[in-house]
Amino acid sequence: MHRKYLMGNKTRLAMAFSAILALVAFSTSAQAASKDVVIGNILPLSGSSASVGIQGKQMRELIIDKFNAAGGIKCDGALNGSKIKMIYLDTRSDPTVGVTDVQQLISQDHVDLITGAWNSGVTYPATQIAEMNKIPFVVPVSVMDRITERGFKYTFRVAAKDSWWTKDQFKFVDYLAHKSSAKIKTLGFVYVNNDFGKSFDDAWVKLAKKHGYKVVLNQSYGESATDLTPVVLKMKSTKPQIVLLVSDAADAILLQNTMASYDVHPLALISSGGGQADPAFIKNTGDSARYLFDVSEWSTDMNRPGLKELNKSYKKRFGADINGESMDAYIGMHTILTTLQNTCSTDPDKFRHAMLNTEFKGGPFSVMAYPSVKFDKTGQNVNAGLIMVQIRKVGNKYERVTVYPEQDTRAGYKIVFPQPNHY
Amino acid sequence: MGTAILNGILMGSIYGLTAIGLTLIYGILRIINFAQGAQLMLGLFATYWFVELTGANPYLSLIFVVPFTYYTGYYIEKFFINPAFKSEKDTREPMSAMIITAGIWYMIDNLALMLFGAEYRTISVPNFSHAISFFGLYAPLSKIIGFFISIIVSGALFWFLKYSKIGKAIRATSQDREAASLMGINQYKIFNVAFGIGAAICGISGTVLLPFYYVYPNAGAHLNILDFVIVILGGLGSIPGALVGGLIIGLIESVGSQFVSYGWTTEIIYVMFLIVLFVRPEGLFGVKGQH
Repeated sequence: MHRKYLMGNKTRLAMAFSAILALVAFSTSAQAASKDVVIGNILPLSGSSASVGIQGKQMRELIIDKFNAAGGIKCDGALNGSKIKMIYLDTRSDPTVGVTDVQQLISQDHVDLITGAWNSGVTYPATQIAEMNKIPFVVPVSVMDRITERGFKYTFRVAAKDSWWTKDQFKFVDYLAHKSSAKIKTLGFVYVNNDFGKSFDDAWVKLAKKHGYKVVLNQSYGESATDLTPVVLKMKSTKPQIVLLVSDAADAILLQNTMASYDVHPLALISSGGGQADPAFIKNTGDSARYLFDVSEWSTDMNRPGLKELNKSYKKRFGADINGESMDAYIGMHTILTTLQNTCSTDPDKFRHAMLNTEFKGGPFSVMAYPSVKFDKTGQNVNAGLIMVQIRKVGNKYERVTVYPEQDTRAGYKIVFPQPNHY
Repeated sequence: MGTAILNGILMGSIYGLTAIGLTLIYGILRIINFAQGAQLMLGLFATYWFVELTGANPYLSLIFVVPFTYYTGYYIEKFFINPAFKSEKDTREPMSAMIITAGIWYMIDNLALMLFGAEYRTISVPNFSHAISFFGLYAPLSKIIGFFISIIVSGALFWFLKYSKIGKAIRATSQDREAASLMGINQYKIFNVAFGIGAAICGISGTVLLPFYYVYPNAGAHLNILDFVIVILGGLGSIPGALVGGLIIGLIESVGSQFVSYGWTTEIIYVMFLIVLFVRPEGLFGVKGQH
């Protein structure tokens, strides 16, 4: 008998010890993987809003990749060391698809949190599903008022409500009217015929009455219109002095180029973020868009600590400047990360409590246009504020230049009003 | 108002051009080509890439776009759709062929999405996009050129079908493909040619549209729906019908919106479409009872 070929007691002991060690190691690492916080993100990644949807995804990737690389969540408790796992689903800007996406995220992917969905029409029903399942849903961009007016406990919105946007737009109209020697009496409203456009138009009509302006044109157009010449010809025949616009990206480009083609220029055009804020807009309109005013959550030329570096790192990776909506995505993600580190848990009620009782300022929040984020009990960020930019030629490129409020105006640039070749 | 009417005529002729491919394919193959919109998008992209890579005048891109889209259509018919015709020899209008075109639509759309990405692109043609004025009316040169191309293409096609040898063979096949093959005509080759021609016209439409429109992977979808309305209105299988149908749509859109909100003009178009379906289902130029 060759004893050395049979397992000796020492070998048996070593094997048993390594087996236990392996089991412990395996279970701890499995435990670490299951501790990862899963966040589902529904966005328009194809279709007419694809370019903004993709930018939202890119901003989230920028933040989370950096966060995970730095070690993930650091807190005193269950989530210490957890990484964030992000799942992205395409909504195609379609509410039915968005709802199905949320259902899939909840039942199959077992997400802890959801963000999205850019299009108000998609966010509105999608948040309903999340609320029924007690999954916190952070809305960075969608502006439809009613999203935070339903008594929901787990919906949180970063952007200002669209009624606030319209109030700020009219404040700016009054400011322009006051500044100019021409008497501004007539307004025109041109908007895309969807939830986004219609909600702005409803508010504008009321505000025009309140501020004493006459509305000589109130024209909507279909989202997928192939030719906007009829709309531009209507503008030409009614000649409203200031025209307010709401568009998605594709039609913003078509409308702007058609206006330039027929030389139809009001004294001022004021748009509402959305399509005109998309980088594809300036890329595809260039000189046609010169002197357009846009209301925005943010701009790359504001004087804020850390802003230049953040924009540089985003631009380096993705090839375009950050815009107001990706900034909202940035803010939304940081409120989530801060809250997760505060609560050290994925419990929805703890999440809600922390979101409502924290004033998010300083650190990553220093780059915002306004000083801090504060959610009220409807989940609405009450501090969301707006600035006005004007598209101007800077060197041989076209850029969004901050022109209002006066203290934030970019050095060396004054508002140009009325537009030089107006009718 | 005059400018609105002019715009209606110009846009209408261009809409008609986009619809000719659809009506032609129905007239000859007796199937609805659901991939029509996708082929339009291919025409737009082909023009875009030609202009981007060569910097040439967009209308010059026709040298590349026409053969490219023709052969794409030809081989799609040959490899994907003809097998359905061969297996359903005795059916006049094989359903399977129509379903295959729907599959091709999705395939082309998603292939474009994967290859080119979802963003929309435009080409800049400063000399063609600014409106020029004559007799007090305004129109961009790009639309005027589009109008003339539509007229020339439909005229050329009409002449080709009526007088050329292949054109006569195509018409024979559309009337009765069994009888035509008894006369020595290879019906499947005719189908390839017809589908290729339909696709090439979509390609030309893309070149006409791009200077004042934009392109992205789903760009053909809205025009696809409009095209169905136009061909039913004008009569399935009738080329003058497609042009006239397009003109009607263009005029309603352009002139109608001077009186009612632009959104309502779409309603008017669909209501009128329903009325035509009830009153004269074969369309304006269609032959009564033909099916």
